[in-house]
Amino acid sequence: MLFNSGVFLKFFAAFLLLYFLLRHHLQARNVLIVVASYLFYGWWDYRFLSLLAFSSLLDYGVGLGLQRLQDPNRRKLLLGFSMLINLSILGFFKYYDFFAQSLAALMTELHIPVRLQTLNLILPVGISFYTFQSMSYAIDVYRGQVKATRNLVNFLAFVSFFPQLVAGPIERARHLLPQFEPTLKITRPMLEEGLWLCLWGMFQKVVLADNLAPLVEMVYGHSNPGGPMVILGTIAFAFQIYCDFAGYSDIARGSAKLLGFDIMVNFNLPYAAVNLRDFWRRWHVSFSTWLRDYLYISLGGNRLGALRTHFNIFVTMLLGGLWHGAAWNFVLWGLWHGAGLSVHRLWTKRDKTLRHDESFPLPLTPRPSSLSPTGGEGQGEGAVLRTNSAFRFLAWLATMLFVLYGWLLFRAGSFAHIVSLTRALGTFSLPVWTQSYCLNLAVFTLPLAAMQIWQAKTNNLLAPLTLPRWAQALLQGVLLIAIVLFWEKEKVPFIYFQF
Amino acid sequence: MKSHEYDFALADLPELFGWPLATVVLFAAAMHLGASLNVLPSPRPTLDIDRTILLHQAQASRSRHTADVLLIGDSSCLMNVSANQLRASLPGEHQVLNLGTLSYLDLPAYARLLQAYVAANPGRLQTVVLLMHPEALRRASPTEYHVALLHSFYAATDLRDPASSMLVSCLGGDIFKARLLSRALPLPLTGNYGRRYGFTRDLWQYLSENNGSAVDPGQFDRRSASGNAEYRLSPKLELASQAFKAAVPAGVKLYVGITPAPESFVMPNYRQQNSVMLREWGQWLQADGVLEKLPATMPEKLFATTTHLNESGARLYTRLLAESLEKYILQQ
Repeated sequence: MLFNSGVFLKFFAAFLLLYFLLRHHLQARNVLIVVASYLFYGWWDYRFLSLLAFSSLLDYGVGLGLQRLQDPNRRKLLLGFSMLINLSILGFFKYYDFFAQSLAALMTELHIPVRLQTLNLILPVGISFYTFQSMSYAIDVYRGQVKATRNLVNFLAFVSFFPQLVAGPIERARHLLPQFEPTLKITRPMLEEGLWLCLWGMFQKVVLADNLAPLVEMVYGHSNPGGPMVILGTIAFAFQIYCDFAGYSDIARGSAKLLGFDIMVNFNLPYAAVNLRDFWRRWHVSFSTWLRDYLYISLGGNRLGALRTHFNIFVTMLLGGLWHGAAWNFVLWGLWHGAGLSVHRLWTKRDKTLRHDESFPLPLTPRPSSLSPTGGEGQGEGAVLRTNSAFRFLAWLATMLFVLYGWLLFRAGSFAHIVSLTRALGTFSLPVWTQSYCLNLAVFTLPLAAMQIWQAKTNNLLAPLTLPRWAQALLQGVLLIAIVLFWEKEKVPFIYFQF
Repeated sequence: MKSHEYDFALADLPELFGWPLATVVLFAAAMHLGASLNVLPSPRPTLDIDRTILLHQAQASRSRHTADVLLIGDSSCLMNVSANQLRASLPGEHQVLNLGTLSYLDLPAYARLLQAYVAANPGRLQTVVLLMHPEALRRASPTEYHVALLHSFYAATDLRDPASSMLVSCLGGDIFKARLLSRALPLPLTGNYGRRYGFTRDLWQYLSENNGSAVDPGQFDRRSASGNAEYRLSPKLELASQAFKAAVPAGVKLYVGITPAPESFVMPNYRQQNSVMLREWGQWLQADGVLEKLPATMPEKLFATTTHLNESGARLYTRLLAESLEKYILQQ
């Protein structure tokens, strides 16, 4: 079920009614959430509900086992079992064909005859998200950071909670799971925030992202685009992927907020980043903190010497890239960012004037519902750079250029395409439709740029809620009109659904 | 145990949700009122390639123009003939305008375009060249929406977009898109057309600069070619042809031709069949001449699709058309 569909609106309206009716029954409410979430997921393909249920039951059982066991070896074995099963399922559905094809290609190059059957598997939507969420619970229980829950319904609700089930944010058990236990309070500010996030998220998806998509396709589908068009097309894609994914996250957070739940902030003005580590503090926060907490730290983090730290960064970013999809361009994208983070780390070590943070890109877990876009300690580096605005601007520009080339790697379909687009960057030719292209690009990027400048200036991600009530209503009305006008019968799925 | 509590007053709900909705209602009212009072610009829903071409040709048909040779027909007329090249190739001083549209229209609709041109440019027209693809000759019924769009454009009235939901139409969405958005913002075209022409506004400009002609940017692929090669004249075409002929002013010559199909696509006896079809259609139209020298088929490398030639094909076909028309033009 897509958020940007009439079916979801009806589903959510019916759900809200039932939710209201069950307000006096905590357990019944959680059962309702599980049933609704499974319905939400099964609407796409009911056959894969069994995978979701299996993954949830596995980690529920593993959690209880880890809680009960005292022997460290047995505990490690049990956790290893959980991870093996989870990653095997994910690997089978997501990566089997990719590795089979890649291996066959390699063997052909080496003149070694090999017959590897590809299975053309359907990728279960959201599998990367809920598998990571479920796995993080088992790891947290193993580490003693979370107490295993005995309540199966609550655990099923935690893994399948429909607002964030198929495209995140990837929640942590210590944050979301406890919210299924107490009586929740839905206040007027929560309603205001929920309504705003839903509208703004839908606007980002339906109006901005879906109208930027054809602009991106015009360049990336072109056999011979000139350098300026590659740059403009990549800028369009940078905005498209942000609006698509951040839009989804905002709708997820907003709809959860209307139910009294709090879901973590997933995007924190990433295009305001002044260095690459800063970018990864702000982009897909729930995923990058996951990588930090469960991969980078497990690999040894920065505790095993400089060389090993760089290696760990590379491996983390490589796997982070591969998480996005079974394709070599995602691997390259991960390596590109791994290289960038390593270079940045060397640079900051060299320059003693910059405060150096010893940890992986994300030293912080953003505070839920944080109104601060830079989030507490995360301001440290920015604060140093802020002393010199020219340097800060250059740092921002360099970061954005780096990130933009990363998006080119991400969006290009193949190695050959990456090479041809990179070569095109050195050429100069403008199609006759450049003016129309720029006009469209401006129309569908400026609302986001204006909003983010406002949020950054006021240091408040919810800046629009500080407006007088009439101005809020007017702004929301305008967003609503734009959503209705661009609401297409043919729905464009969210980009991150494929991951 | 309680699940959750609502810690706000019931009166908060209309305030929170009501005012944004009121803004939407206000917008809808403004759109409908603006349209009915004609305060807004007239509708011109150039929202995709089909409608951009159709409305451009409709606009061209009712504008002042110096053309004395008018090309009319389906999309093969639009894509296969370059009006500018034809003007340069014809003997004497002739101006050419291509009003070819898409095959969504029928002969009575072409007649409407012709009438609009004659009304806007009285006494100017000398020659009408009607060109259609055999595929279109077999199909009798047009798409209702595109015919209605042509008529509503001439009448400057709003037409509900079938792609819009009822809610969008009620909220003034169609009015906004047709009267404001399409004029203010060029919309991207999809696929090959997008890569060649870019946006609706650029396609409009291209059509204007090329006196109504366009080029199909595709390349024919026999394997993916679709369509039925059993060409014939639809019996309904006879009445429609008479209606078209009635729109041709007295003294204006009407010539008719059938545009080519790919050699590898047609039936073995197609050339003879094409000739028979053309003569019969010419009789129905009471044409002043049938363009029999135009090729019934051409090599597939010159095609973009089964119905459209590509740029090289169009160049060659325009030259052949000029040669076919030459004797008639010289007689006039």
